Amino acid sequence: MKIVVCIKQVPETTNVKINEKTKNIDRRGLGGVINSYDLHALETALEIKRNVGGEVITMTMGPDDFAVSLRETLALGADSSILLSDRAFAGADTLATGYVLGKAIKKIGDVDLVLLGQQSVDADTGQVGPIMAELLQIPQVTYANEVIAENNSLLIKRNLDNVAQEITAQLPLLLTVTDTINQPQYTNVVEITKSFAKPITTWHASELQLDDSRVGQAGSPTIVRSISSPEKAAKVGHKLTNDPREAAAELVAILKKQNILTEED
Amino acid sequence: MTVIKENWVFVETDLNKINPVTYELITKMKQISHDPVVAILIEKSDANLETELSEYGPDKILLVKDDELVDGDDLELTDALNKLIQKQGTPNTFIFPATVVGRSVAPRLQARLRTGLTADCLDLKFEDDLLVQTKPSYGDNIMCEITIPNHHPQMATARPNVFTAEKENNPALKIEEIDNLEWEKDTKLQIKSQVLPLKTSNDIAKAQRIVALGRGDKTEAGIGIANNLAKKLHATVGVTRPLTDLDQYTITEQIGQSGQTVAPDLLINLGISGAVQYTAGISNAKIVVSVNTDENAQIFKYSDYYFVGNALEFSKALEAIL
Repeated sequence: MKIVVCIKQVPETTNVKINEKTKNIDRRGLGGVINSYDLHALETALEIKRNVGGEVITMTMGPDDFAVSLRETLALGADSSILLSDRAFAGADTLATGYVLGKAIKKIGDVDLVLLGQQSVDADTGQVGPIMAELLQIPQVTYANEVIAENNSLLIKRNLDNVAQEITAQLPLLLTVTDTINQPQYTNVVEITKSFAKPITTWHASELQLDDSRVGQAGSPTIVRSISSPEKAAKVGHKLTNDPREAAAELVAILKKQNILTEED
Repeated sequence: MTVIKENWVFVETDLNKINPVTYELITKMKQISHDPVVAILIEKSDANLETELSEYGPDKILLVKDDELVDGDDLELTDALNKLIQKQGTPNTFIFPATVVGRSVAPRLQARLRTGLTADCLDLKFEDDLLVQTKPSYGDNIMCEITIPNHHPQMATARPNVFTAEKENNPALKIEEIDNLEWEKDTKLQIKSQVLPLKTSNDIAKAQRIVALGRGDKTEAGIGIANNLAKKLHATVGVTRPLTDLDQYTITEQIGQSGQTVAPDLLINLGISGAVQYTAGISNAKIVVSVNTDENAQIFKYSDYYFVGNALEFSKALEAIL
């Protein structure tokens, strides 16, 4: 089975601040990590490969230094990686991102399964997967929490809000997974060493036969007008006293005053 | 492409029942728009969900009675909704609930229509015909105002439990039944659906008080104490993702991005570190109390009151004086 796992590199913490001058997110000093949900997608791909055989390719769109994250996927067991890097991709929203990723899947050719995490932990949209599925004109199953691979099909379980679903899906398919689907493995020194023998190929815009009007900012219908840090995120917590009994009494008194607890409590 | 001055709201039904988030979206759109709010309802041929839906006062219900489409997959629903737009015209806005269904179908339709879509909105307002959408990012640490100025429909998914549904009698309500949508069937997926156990008063999403348990308290003693405390408080027990490895907890009790979004008056976090996957689910909680042995725990940044120390000792002490 030929599997492509799309990953996203995200800031290592989501506890980000806005730069007062630029009014933009302050990325200074923020390292990058692989979006946690995508590690579950990669593990799903590796499990399928272990069970029915195949090839696992990881892919991301971003600047050249995102190759670090791709190298990590190679150390975790992926066979090869593709980096989609071009200045023209900058400023892309989910639609323009999905377009470029979809074009790259077409260029890879004969892909049976496209795998993604359910969403990224920075933008939180979960839209790129379904957008790619639509552009590739293949079916999709999102938020999977169990997958069993057979030769030409997948048995998938997922939960909607009030409904549990069991789905038999023929390939090709686009699948997004939750973090309850598996436990991502750790890598080791041997695998890290081996990863340097595996290829990371870079594709630029010119190699993907793109319609310029659908790429980057030009291809993005959404406009971010402003960003702000909501007060909610910065709750000024009141520290309770160190003694558990006194702290409990203090808390109950406060909560009663605020009518959160009643006299009956 | 003709843009019609209508706001469409996708009615989510789960096995012949309307998901109440639909009513929240209808109420919100009616409050902010001068244009008609149109509910898009797909139901079985013998169903009559439009009666219930009418109570929330949409201006129009576009009704598709289709036994197959009701159970359609994302691809089929996308095709059907696209055909509906081709038939009726392009609405100015099209809003979906930010549920699994909404967050799956809306982006697919967005790509088909090549328009913009904003995920998980916490607020919506109009500036003339422009829909201004407020969406959280970075696990609710950042709020973005997003617009889609040059494409239609302006699409958004909006989070459940954020807007309040209000019943309203709308004498002008029109119900328009659409037949012959002629949507394309997808034979590649076979879906078997089954209703999950009915959520009752234990339903964590609606609970007024929650005692939540994290990895730091994943012991039998910890679980026991949390349950006792919850009983005393008439609270529901919730858990973080690692606790769902245990038999007694599932996604139904799990709070956070891959679980439930909660909005209690009181949330007590025991042994929870405060990873974004968790905190994204608690931003609507009124009073947050957290207990953790690590005085630098992230969770304290999301808390009104916190106790640095052993969760067991604190819970016992709290239970004793209630």
